[in-house]
Formats: sequence, C-alpha cells, structure tokens
Amino acid sequence: MSVLTCVIESMGSSCSRPHSLNEAEAAENAKSADIDRRILQETKAEQHIHKLLLLGAGESGKSTIFKQIKLLFQTGFDEAELRSYTSVIHANVYQTIKVLYDGAKELAQVEPDSSKYVLSPDNQEIGEKLSEVGAKLDYPLLNKETVEDVRKLWQDPAIQETYSRGSILQVPDCAQYFMNNLDRLAEVDYIPTKEDVLHARVRTNGVVEIQFSPLGESKRGGEVYRLYDVGGQRNERRKWIHLFEGVNAVIFCAAISEYDQMLFEDETKNRMMETKELFDWVLKQRCFEKTSFMLFLNKFDIFERKIQKVPLSVCEWFKDYQPTAPGKQEVEHAYEFVKKKFEELYFQSSKPDRVDRVFKIYRTTALDQKLVKKTFKLIDESMRRSREGA
Amino acid sequence: MPQYQELPCGGQVLDIDTALKDGILGAALEPGDAAAGDAGKQPVELRKMMDELDAAGDGGGDEAVPAVFICPISLEPMVDPVTLCTGQTYERANISRWLALGHRTCPTTMQELWDDALTPNATLRQLIAAWFSRRYTRFKKRSADFHGRAADLVHGLRGTAVPRRQPLKGQARVAALRELRTLATTHQSVTKAIAEAGGVALLTSLLGPFTSHAVGTEAVAILVCGVPLDADAKAALMQPAKVSLVVDMLNEGVADTKINCVRLIRILMDERGFRPETVASLSLLVGVMRLIRDKRHPDGVVAGLELLNSICAVHRPARSMIVSIGAVPQLVELLPELATECVEPALDILDALSAVPEGRVALKDCPRTIPNAVRLLMRVSEACTRRALSMLWTVCRMAPEECAPAAVEAGLAAKLLLVIQSGCAPELKQKASELLKLCRLNYTDTLFISKCKLTRTIQ
Repeated sequence: MSVLTCVIESMGSSCSRPHSLNEAEAAENAKSADIDRRILQETKAEQHIHKLLLLGAGESGKSTIFKQIKLLFQTGFDEAELRSYTSVIHANVYQTIKVLYDGAKELAQVEPDSSKYVLSPDNQEIGEKLSEVGAKLDYPLLNKETVEDVRKLWQDPAIQETYSRGSILQVPDCAQYFMNNLDRLAEVDYIPTKEDVLHARVRTNGVVEIQFSPLGESKRGGEVYRLYDVGGQRNERRKWIHLFEGVNAVIFCAAISEYDQMLFEDETKNRMMETKELFDWVLKQRCFEKTSFMLFLNKFDIFERKIQKVPLSVCEWFKDYQPTAPGKQEVEHAYEFVKKKFEELYFQSSKPDRVDRVFKIYRTTALDQKLVKKTFKLIDESMRRSREGA
Repeated sequence: MPQYQELPCGGQVLDIDTALKDGILGAALEPGDAAAGDAGKQPVELRKMMDELDAAGDGGGDEAVPAVFICPISLEPMVDPVTLCTGQTYERANISRWLALGHRTCPTTMQELWDDALTPNATLRQLIAAWFSRRYTRFKKRSADFHGRAADLVHGLRGTAVPRRQPLKGQARVAALRELRTLATTHQSVTKAIAEAGGVALLTSLLGPFTSHAVGTEAVAILVCGVPLDADAKAALMQPAKVSLVVDMLNEGVADTKINCVRLIRILMDERGFRPETVASLSLLVGVMRLIRDKRHPDGVVAGLELLNSICAVHRPARSMIVSIGAVPQLVELLPELATECVEPALDILDALSAVPEGRVALKDCPRTIPNAVRLLMRVSEACTRRALSMLWTVCRMAPEECAPAAVEAGLAAKLLLVIQSGCAPELKQKASELLKLCRLNYTDTLFISKCKLTRTIQ
C-alpha cells in the first residue's frame, strides 16, 4: 500500500511541472503506471485465492494436515524431499527413547513401587549411552547396532511400564509407530515412505504456506486455496497475528486424545484446557468476525483407544462426564460429549452478531489420507456454498 | 389420432377412417385394453375406469373426451347411452329421470316425442368403452412407469440393478436422487414403490458424517415425502452422526432444505424410542432460531416455531439452552409481525421458557416484552390472551416497580378491563383483575383512570 501512495505522490508532482519534461521523467511516469497496473492485477488475483489458516495448540496435528494436503493436491513429496526427512525420523527415535529412559529413572525415584521402573543393568548401560547421544543437538543416523540397542531398551519391561504412563511425560505420539519399524528405518538405503513422513514430528517454526487447487469439479472453476501452517507452541503464537487479516476460513485443530496430557512448554498445564482457552481467544478476535471456522477434532484413533483406559473426567473441562456402557458405544458417547463441549464454548464465545458465521465440526484422524481427502471435499463444498451466498 | 369434422349445425363427426386406424372403433383391439367386448360387464368396468382416471386427476390428459361421448343433460361421459326417437343420445339414467318428471320432449331439440322407447346405442357404447379403456391403459402405463422409474432409480443407487452395475457415485448419484425426489413429491404413490425397492435403507445409509450437502438435501427431501419409515429406520436415523448432518444442513441449506430438516426431526421426535438429548444441540437451536427469524419464508417460520415448541415440551434442559442463545428477546421482537397462526406457538415457547429462572430474567430484561404482550391481549385468541397475560404477570411480579408503570404506559389497564368484561374463562378474568390491582398500586385513582384512557361511560 505504501508503494502505491508514493507512486501517486510522485505522479501528482510530475504532472504539475512545466511542459519541458525530459524523457527520463516520461519514462518514470510510464514505469509508475505500469506498477499501478501490476498492483491492481495482483490485488484482483489475490481475491480469488481462498486463504485457509491452520491454528491450534502444539502437537494438535496441524502440520500433519498440512502434509496431507500437500500429498493429496500437489505433486506430493519427491525423493529429495522424502530423503530430507530421514534425519528427522532418526532424531525422533533418539528423542523418544531418551524421554522414556529419563522418565523411567524419574519414576523409579518418585513412585512408591519403584521396582517396576528399574531397568536391567545391561539395559541401563545402553540407556545411559543413548541418553547421552540424545542430549546433543546433532543426532547420528541410525545403524544396525544402534537399532539393536534401541530395541533392547524399548522391550525392557521397565520402559514399557514407563510408556504406559506416557501421558505424564512428553512422549511423542509417533513413538509406537517408529519403534515398530526400527529395522526398516535403519536400512542403509532407507528412503522414508509417505507414512513415515506423516508420522515424523518436527516443531514448526514460523509460518509455512502452500497453494493448491483441489481436484474434481472445482478444477474447472479454477479455485485456488492457500494454506498457512504455523507453530503451535506459546512462543510461536505472537507470529500468528500477522496472518489473521483476509483469511477466509480458520481450520482449528484440537487433539481430543490429549485430555490427560500436559503441555510441552509448561508441564503444569493440561493440554485440553490450553486448547480450550486458545480456541476461546481465537474466536474473540475482531478480524475473525466473518471468517468461517472449521473445528477439527483430531487424533480420533488415539482417542478411541485411550477412552477405554482413561476416563474423560480426568480433564477439568470434562469433569461432568458420565460414562455409559463400555465398548464402541462408549467411544461414540464420549466423542459426542466432547463435541457438545466445544459447541457450547463456541456459542458462548461468539457474540450474537457473529452467530451467522459458518461453524462446522469434523472428526478427523490426520494420519488417514482417505479421511482427510473426504473431509476436505466437504470443506470445499461448504466454502463454495458460502461464497455463492446460499 | 381420430380426426373430427365440424358439421354445419355445430356438431362434430368422428372421422371413420382415422378412428378405424387408431382402433377406436374396436377393430384393432390392443392386448392391454380392458374388456371392451363384454357387453354385460361394461358399464361397471367403464365406471370404475372413469372414476379412477378422475381421481388421479388425469381427466385432462393429453386429449379431452370427445364431445359425442358427453351426455347433453349431465355433461358427463356416457356409460350407458340410449337414443331417443329424435335420434339424440343421452345417458340412460338422466333421460329416464327427465321422462319420469313428466316431460315429453327431447331435451336438446325440444321436439315432442312420438315414441317413449329408449334404444340402447350399442355402437356408441362400444366406442366409449374402447376410448376409455385405451386412455386407462395409457394412464396405467404412465403411473406404473413412475413406479417403475422410481424403483429403477433406487436399484441404480443401491447397485442392485439388473444387469449388475456399480452403485452410482458423484454427480450421477446426485442427479438420480434429484429425479427420485421430483417423482416422490409429485406422485404420492411413488413413495411406496421406493420403500419396496429398499429405498429407505439406502437413504438412511447415505446420511453420514461424510455426506456432501447435495446428496444429503435430496435424501432428506425424499424421506419426508411420506416414505413409510419403520421403527428400525427411525432408530438408525437417530444416530448422532446422522443427526449432526441434518443439523448442519439445517444451518447451511436453502429454505426448502431447512424446512425438510425440521420435518424430519419432528418425525423422529414422534417415535417412541426417541432420546430427548438428541435435540439438546446448540447448533440445532441456533439453526431453528435463524429459520424462525427469516421473514422471507413464512412456511419456515411456522415449521421452526412448531419444532421449538416440541423441543421445549419434550426436553426441559433444552429450555435453558434456548435462553442462552438469546432466543427470548428475538422471539419477543418478532411477536408483532407474526402471522396469526404463528402467534400461539410463539407464546407457548415463551411461556415454557419463563418456567426456568434465566428465561424469566431474559423476559424482564427485554424492553419490548411488555408493549408487545399488551398488544396481544384480546387480539388473536383466548389461548394467546392467557399466555400473554401469564407473561405480563411473571414480569410484573418479578420487578413491580419498573414493570408496572411501563405496562400501564403501554395501555395495559384498558386491555385488562376488556378482559374482565369479556366472555373469557373465569380464571383468566381473575388473573386480569389481580394484575390490574398490582399495576394501580403506585397511582392515585385519578391518575390511574386517566392512564386507562377510559371513556366517560365506563368511568
């Protein structure tokens, strides 16, 4: 905008000069007119691009959704990009085993029945070695020997016991998946698969964006979407505010499986409570008065498994939950409860003049590509309908 | 098509050649034709056919009944044509009645009859029978066609068509559903055919968390057309995921879609196994309120109000939820502009909401409650007056110092006097007089009377 103003200013001043315009100034005028035209063109083009913003607390699955969209609607990951994830995946393995090992040591000191958390002496030695590796900033690549060590440690009953208490530690969700695939990860010519990449965990720094056109009927219409992904941790959130203007829809990711987990950046705060406050804050932002909100209740697969073992009421927000029959019905019932809570929060936080904005809740498992594709089809349809003013 | 020739005297003559060609003269009876040859059975069958065609509204069809088939007395097609000595043909029953009344003339030509004989016109009868039987077969084919077409569509969607094909997807599916919907809405009998072809299970299975809006709206529209839904189907439809979809469509769809969704929910609510918590959804309530506030679609307003009324009646906790979304001031503001049939359900809702403390507070806080309620006294019906009076009573009792003067300013006193003097139920009059007493507490007599704007005679 500032470029435009100074161009206008100089245009005005050049017109008022006497007629003895030399060629340089005539060229300047032509150039500024050209810039004006380009700015107008780009502004018009921008209006046809529908901006989607992925928001949510840390580890809520935003980047996984981002990767899925890339896989579905762009050319996916080429070999170079896949290879670039190798170091990340290996790092994840080291980080996981370190967290577990350190966690076992801590639990052995703190818990009353500490014998559960004491490793065998051999494994303790391995543990110390790996822990040292994991404490450095640069991780070596996994090879056959290291993988053997990691596996021995992973299979130690003390570590398994610690893993079952994973919610009080910061064990990443990809732990089980990578531990099950250790051999493949350590192969000499290992190229990560799409699945591996989707599971890989990297804390997003700053903002990433992709532009894409969804396939199918709307390809004709030339619909273009631009998706922004951000870091979810608290220190990253001050960077969000720069993106808020002009967004057509906010996709807010909430991992419903983390009702019993604590934040990475503040281990005294329950993750679900953090998500609740964050959602509330986002809803009240003035710039989102007319924005559509898509709430992704994510990590449903983990939620399904967890609900059988850990009651919802451990989270303060859900403390009035009454379980019904155990089994699959329980999962549905619990999910509906969580959904209602978010709905309640939405309507409480939305002033009456905002009640007309589009608000939809989707159950997602970001790792499942088919599900994400189906969900996105619905979002696309919904956004088209609201554009047509239906 | 048989051709007719205009006669100079104004009649029409059936052209024999074309009539023969088209088989009207019975020369080329098609296999599908009803028994046009059996003279004895004809009148009964013929009458049945005519009645059925009439009932189906197919009286017009593509061609009118030929004029020569019409009895000049009743202007209806003749079932048992008889000819008089003058050569004019009438329906036997009609001409017999004419003659029994003592007339001795031919009704059309006015000639005096020299012979009472009523000669049965066998030729004409056969022609009429043939014509109608052909019309009937065509009608049957067409309606059987609708049923057939509907069944075909259902099988196509299910993937159970013969020869075996994949179930339709994408745009083809939406188109098939749209056609099915048109058939079901225009011809009620098609709904039975749909159910028989397994359509109910199909439509229920189509509704789910990943159903697109296009598919969902058509499916719901067909389901509310009168397709017979058994208890199992309704139980399936009450699953939370399907209800969520219906609620989403209620929020996002066009007016017709919203009304269909409302109707579907009401159908489910009528079922015995209905769990009231299903409707305790804020999104649903917000969607219904939006429908109620949309003045462009009066059907929607009625439907929405009735649904909200049922919800209040069925699920008490829903009342607090309705108050929390700000429904009370919205409903109160709407009251003056509502059509007459909408006022009672709206007042019922407000009455139900005032049963919860938040509702009462909301009523009191809304500035338009008192004026709008006063206006409604003795306006629409006794039931409405009762409700409006009850609302005013609740509000004035909660905060007499602020509400009573406001009510009096709005002309409450005159209206209350009207109630007391009217033919309403005694308890209504009782309440009115109590309210009047409450309102005049802070006024001197003269001031109060002037506020009442009473005429001198009543004074």
